[in-house]
Amino acid sequence: MKRRDFLKNTALASTSLMVPQFLAGFQRKKIFGSRSGKILVVIQLSGGNDGLNTVVPFHNDIYYRSRPSLAVKREEVLKVGENMGFNPAMQSLQELYDEGLLSIINSVGYPNPDRSHFRSMDIWQTASESNEYLSTGWLGRYLDSNCAGCSSPYHALEVDDSLSLAMKGATHGGFAMSDPARLKRQTENRFLKASARKQHSSEENVAYLYKTMIDTQSSAACLYEQSQLYSSTMEYPKTPFGKDLQQIAELITADTDTKIYYASLTGFDTHANQKNQQERLLRQYAQGVNVFAKDLKKNGLLKDVLVMTFSEFGRRVQQNASNGTDHGTANNVFLMGGNLKKPGFYNAAPNLSTLDAGDLVYEVDFRRIYASILEDWLEAESPAILGKPFEKLPIV
Amino acid sequence: MATFFWGRVCKRIKNKRLLLFKPLFCATVQSCKIQIYSMTHQRKIQHLYLRAGFGLSPEEWLEKKDIPLQEAVNQLFEKAKFVPRIESEEAAADLSMQAIRNLSREEKAKLRKQERKKVALQNANWLERMANPNESPLLEKMSLFWHGHFACTSKGSRLALAQLNSLRRHALGNFRELALAIAKDASMIRFLNNQQNRKRQPNENFARELMELFTIGRGNYSEKDVKEAARAFTGWSSNFRGEFVFRSFQHDYGNKTFLGKSGDFNGEDIIDLLLEKKETARFVTRKIYRYFVNEKIDEDRVVELADLFYNSNYDIGKLMRAIFESDWFYEDENVGSKIKSPVEFLAGIERNLKVQFEREESIVLIQKALGQLLFNPPNVAGWPGGKSWIDNSTLMLRLNLVNHLFQIAEFDFRVKPEFEAKEPNQGRKKLNASLDFQELIATFSNENEEDVFEELTSFFIQAPVQLDKQLFDEFTRQDTKENYIKTLTMRLMSLPEYQLC
Repeated sequence: MKRRDFLKNTALASTSLMVPQFLAGFQRKKIFGSRSGKILVVIQLSGGNDGLNTVVPFHNDIYYRSRPSLAVKREEVLKVGENMGFNPAMQSLQELYDEGLLSIINSVGYPNPDRSHFRSMDIWQTASESNEYLSTGWLGRYLDSNCAGCSSPYHALEVDDSLSLAMKGATHGGFAMSDPARLKRQTENRFLKASARKQHSSEENVAYLYKTMIDTQSSAACLYEQSQLYSSTMEYPKTPFGKDLQQIAELITADTDTKIYYASLTGFDTHANQKNQQERLLRQYAQGVNVFAKDLKKNGLLKDVLVMTFSEFGRRVQQNASNGTDHGTANNVFLMGGNLKKPGFYNAAPNLSTLDAGDLVYEVDFRRIYASILEDWLEAESPAILGKPFEKLPIV
Repeated sequence: MATFFWGRVCKRIKNKRLLLFKPLFCATVQSCKIQIYSMTHQRKIQHLYLRAGFGLSPEEWLEKKDIPLQEAVNQLFEKAKFVPRIESEEAAADLSMQAIRNLSREEKAKLRKQERKKVALQNANWLERMANPNESPLLEKMSLFWHGHFACTSKGSRLALAQLNSLRRHALGNFRELALAIAKDASMIRFLNNQQNRKRQPNENFARELMELFTIGRGNYSEKDVKEAARAFTGWSSNFRGEFVFRSFQHDYGNKTFLGKSGDFNGEDIIDLLLEKKETARFVTRKIYRYFVNEKIDEDRVVELADLFYNSNYDIGKLMRAIFESDWFYEDENVGSKIKSPVEFLAGIERNLKVQFEREESIVLIQKALGQLLFNPPNVAGWPGGKSWIDNSTLMLRLNLVNHLFQIAEFDFRVKPEFEAKEPNQGRKKLNASLDFQELIATFSNENEEDVFEELTSFFIQAPVQLDKQLFDEFTRQDTKENYIKTLTMRLMSLPEYQLC
């Protein structure tokens, strides 16, 4: 029997029965360091990243004709094959590609695409149909169906002050924490700590409020402790995004009882003067993920981690009159980790000749990627979570 | 003096729900005084005002806590009779669509920013009306409900205001008139793409949401019905001034078959046909019940109320009166059982403490952080409400907000940036709000300390609660009555129970 399983069973037999659920997480960490198995990190690029200038189809003349001043020059593309290459700002990501740590899936989208930020982001976060409005997210529903026995309220952790819809379930939800010190300050209210210890009504909503409050208080303490256990020696980019990735890496390395992490990078809505802004952000992204990978690899943890990066839509093939691009449809999705089944390009470059009113036509439904991650990485049943079965891809 | 209270066990056999069992004891005299929860008349009055409005200011509470329920209900409806139009603070210096198209990108961005500020101002004004004892709480509450029901984001402040005025005009009137007004509202038309709904190129979006979310609900119509209804609404458009325009040449005058009936229907006919079905009355009544009474639906009551609604020809005022005048509305299970929406929470503290924000941006910030931004529902389905308001982040914010305001501390919270933002926002912002305890202190000044504790608790807390005065003694100042009231207020408003109404 594996050490981890033995320790888990021991806990069930002794400690957990006597310790209230909300304290169990903290206790477990102290007594035995069980890791959360395979870990998923979701990185959201908000604003609609221009996929065609990220993964450049430099072999395709249509690309150059459609973007006379905006296309990435052939000689500047970081070529990783005959057809596609990276934006020059993504050197750090190319490194990961060369080490076999990166999978790229092209032309990911969904039927009847919506080009509104809010709608499309909701669709990606809730895994809904294009004309459906769901109030729970795919990761929230993962928690709903898999978290009956979860020992920590921060089984899914969003590195932000507020919780995204993706992380909200019907009965369970993720935990929002932009940084442990801030969270600790928010819960430092001694009066509330004292109230938490007193009896309160068992009425459903009262109980729910108290449970949430108590969970938050104990999580704040736990997470703060966890964040002090390990300090990375790597040099992360000194940006909020870099800081968030560092946070995640440190928590993973400290063996925190968290299985899913969620982070985001904003600013990709490049309607005008796209080049500099997008490059700045792509560089941040690439450098951040590069250091993140190195950090985890150093501690032998990368094979247990999968990073999925997406954006709510790509952008139009044709550049606009302001040296930028407008909202589009399908885009690429990156998977990064030490355990990929198919590193490199999963499929061909996007089809630029058959467009839908100037926009890319999707080839891979994003929910298939979710299904693959849910089933093959997180070992969960995806149809219940996604509403119906989706054919997996052999990616993880 | 030792006080004993009786426990109560109730079983609702009909709905197989066990009500709260409340054993209530108080052991000794001075060391432990536990607040108990029984259904007093005052609690019922509070319940009415919290559900039909946004609670009571301290002065109002003094004035109304002992009046008969019927009189309180009558007062609420009387005050709601007068529906003043909300005017925009600025003259309508409107640019035509043409002029807007010709603006440069930077000018457009500037215009958008100006519009956002205007909407923020309208937001603040609405919140102020919700908190102001001189305004009609029932009118504002009904408007808020309908705003969430006919959920829509407007592309500009003037259109947002026009829609709000439509909602207000019919909020307690006739549902048919309300639905028709919304179907002709420029914001809604644009939001649900009816502007693009034309004879040879129908766009089904509005027709679909009208049926699915606004009137009859899923399962009561077919896809064919949606298509036919869309045809009936072709040509229902608006001009650049935000006025409804019927574009005859875009309208499909042909015969349609809708819900089993045939005719050359137009949009108005579709609404009539939808309302002819009892399912519509039931769908809308159910939603109202969920919002105003309890998330746990009592199906029998809903049917009863729906019949009343239907038979009164969709008289909203009659329906609301029926709810507020019934005995079951004031039963234990319905009192203190609703999680306040962010706006109800904000309006409540504004009313209780005369909170005034220096800048409307602060209100927008708090609403965003709590998950409900007026004039900006997440999508056409509105705000789901209930427990979905609460996660670790929003809860801590709610519990700490009064502290923040009291200390005028920094609001250390990064709201998620707009999708169009170029930078993540930085975080610490000053809320710049003022509080006024005078009315509160004046209202509760002639009691001894124990009575103050009991009265203030009854004033602020509706949820069933057992409070330990000892706990509060540790965390309040007792040097003067003023300080005691201030600090006790802060503590009570930071309890989880304060989040319930």
